Amino acid sequence: MFDSLTLAAIPPEDEALRPQVRALAQEAVASLPLEQRARTWMGHDAAFSRKLGAAGLLGLTLPTEYGGGGRGPFARFVVVEELLAAGAPVGAHWIADRQSAPLILNFGTEAQRQFYIPRICRGEALFCIGMSEPGAGSDLAAVRTRAERSTSGWRLSGQKIWTTGAQHADYMIALVRTSGGPEDRHAGLSQVIVDLKLPGITVRPIEDLAGDEHFNEVFFDGVELADDALIGAEGQGWSQVTAELAFERSGPERIYSSLVLLDGWLAHLRKAGRNDDATAALVGGYVARLAALRAMSLACTARLAAGESPVVEASLVKDLGTSFEQELPIAIADDLASHDNPVDPDLMRALTYITRVTPSFSLRGGTREILRGIIARGLGLR
Amino acid sequence: MSEFLEPFERMLTALFPPDRVRAIDGGGEWEHERTEIEQSGFLDAMVPEASGGAGLSLADTSDLWRAVGRNAAPLAIGEAMIERADLDDTGRALLLAAAISGAADRVLAMTVAYAGERSQFGKPIGRQQALQQQLAVMAEDCVAIRMAVELAAASDVPDPLRVGAAKSVASAAAPRVANTAHAVHGAIGISAEYDLQLYTRRLHEWRAALGSETRWNRDLGHALLASHAPVLDWTRSRLFGEA
Ligand SMILES: Cc1cc2nc3c(=O)[nH]c(=O)nc-3n(C[C@H](O)[C@H](O)[C@H](O)COP(=O)(O)OP(=O)(O)OC[C@H]3O[C@@H](n4cnc5c(N)ncnc54)[C@H](O)[C@@H]3O)c2cc1C
Repeated sequence: MFDSLTLAAIPPEDEALRPQVRALAQEAVASLPLEQRARTWMGHDAAFSRKLGAAGLLGLTLPTEYGGGGRGPFARFVVVEELLAAGAPVGAHWIADRQSAPLILNFGTEAQRQFYIPRICRGEALFCIGMSEPGAGSDLAAVRTRAERSTSGWRLSGQKIWTTGAQHADYMIALVRTSGGPEDRHAGLSQVIVDLKLPGITVRPIEDLAGDEHFNEVFFDGVELADDALIGAEGQGWSQVTAELAFERSGPERIYSSLVLLDGWLAHLRKAGRNDDATAALVGGYVARLAALRAMSLACTARLAAGESPVVEASLVKDLGTSFEQELPIAIADDLASHDNPVDPDLMRALTYITRVTPSFSLRGGTREILRGIIARGLGLR
Repeated sequence: MSEFLEPFERMLTALFPPDRVRAIDGGGEWEHERTEIEQSGFLDAMVPEASGGAGLSLADTSDLWRAVGRNAAPLAIGEAMIERADLDDTGRALLLAAAISGAADRVLAMTVAYAGERSQFGKPIGRQQALQQQLAVMAEDCVAIRMAVELAAASDVPDPLRVGAAKSVASAAAPRVANTAHAVHGAIGISAEYDLQLYTRRLHEWRAALGSETRWNRDLGHALLASHAPVLDWTRSRLFGEA
């Protein structure tokens, strides 16, 4: 079952990007403590994102005619893998590079592509995802935010929540209702690109349990959108958002959120001379799992490269990947708390941070239960 | 996937129907099957073509080993291939991981099918979300095992660390897969006459054979700790063979 997922190697021309990305990533994290690097894709550094853009390392999956790299998902895999392994602050461009630009390429008009994609590739247009609402979490089809036809385009009213990076972003791609009511479910949903500088928009950051502000509430009070704010076809929002989520779920970030911590722990063990069998077995178990996950993630990347939208496969990798990421800090905490070697305070702070935020790994981008439901459908059970 | 897989699997399915598997498990002889397999030439899968073998790669051969597991066929078939290719215990550990992969896939298929057939409370039990979630995890485990085996089989000769990662992932997942399969099957799965147990007993046996996950994790961990390399670099170079 799921035989389409099969071992795939990174093409040499994409692998060749690695040294350049690594150099830039190392430079960016050189002065950052482990605790800061552990934030990686929640870390926001617009200047670093522009630097990556200038180096040609953003928009690698996009055609050169729109300023992209004209390569494919494997090139992006290499870049993402290196950035996350280093713990570089990639939050600023993350969403635009991963899902907004491919969405605009797939569903946008020629004018929309010309307008947005080149700036995304330069790291100059930052996007956020406007899916969740107070009454629409897992049940995304229950969104109530409405865009109604006006004389000049669309009038937008409603509220989004948990919108990562909205306070820094230039645009939001929002899933909204353009006809009917919540009872119509998937019918009547559309996606619009909202310029967040327009009047009538209020962005209110929400502090998270680690004291960070990354996600937000976003209110729309009769915001006037131009006609061309609609992206894709009116009423096709659901199928578009499903394709978008396949991009969101299938990247290597789903296995590497705790990698900086793993390296920090390994450094601690080596320094303390902890090379007994029990410690080695504990470490080895995680690296074996990491290898299997990386192979799965590469296999998924190959499906993307073949032009498919691997919804079920991406869910498999994400669910297994987040389990790994969530169990790792718990095991590390047990290990450190059960041995007497002094622990570097920076490692402890990184561990505390990751421990607090790990529950979010299996919420953001679709909860564990929802992903398993998608897999069950792939098994023919639903 | 090699052209040999399909005929090989057809042969195994014909030679080892469940009643034969039971008889062999009970200590019965399988001389007839042994001779047929011997004559089929498949045992020379990895022997170079120049020496009269099929010259299959380790990757293609591991697909045959998965078929051995899928059919609950005697592991000795895979072991004979290993002996003729002059491989050592590292090759045997890969055979075991591949056999676990095949058996786990079979168990998943049986369990998904059963969940669609068995009705309680007026609908198939597979419509119960609690079971759907467990089956999804089982599918994840099966894919992870297969990918770990494919990764280990992608080298020219079996490499102890790469095979170790595969045997670790396969061994750790095997009991989970077996347990979920039995949970979903209910009492029928506990009966001797139902075929599920032919596979789940093998999952446990093969998990332990040549060392279960902790034994292989130990080797991996010692190598990683001794290397002083960041985990991604080490994983890429030692387990993926990347430059
Ligand atoms: C750090 C972080 C960043 C985020 N960033 C964004 C963002 O940028 N943009 C955005 O739009 N959203 C974002 N989200 C929101 C995220 O997509 C939602 O949290 C997620 O979809 C779940 O919705 P919810 O939180 O309302 O939980 P609920 O849907 O209320 O779920 C609560 C629990 O009920 C379970 N549940 C719900 N329905 C079912 C069902 N049918 N079957 C079984 N169990 C069910 C869930 O699995 C979960 O365990 C972010 C969330 C986090 C934590």
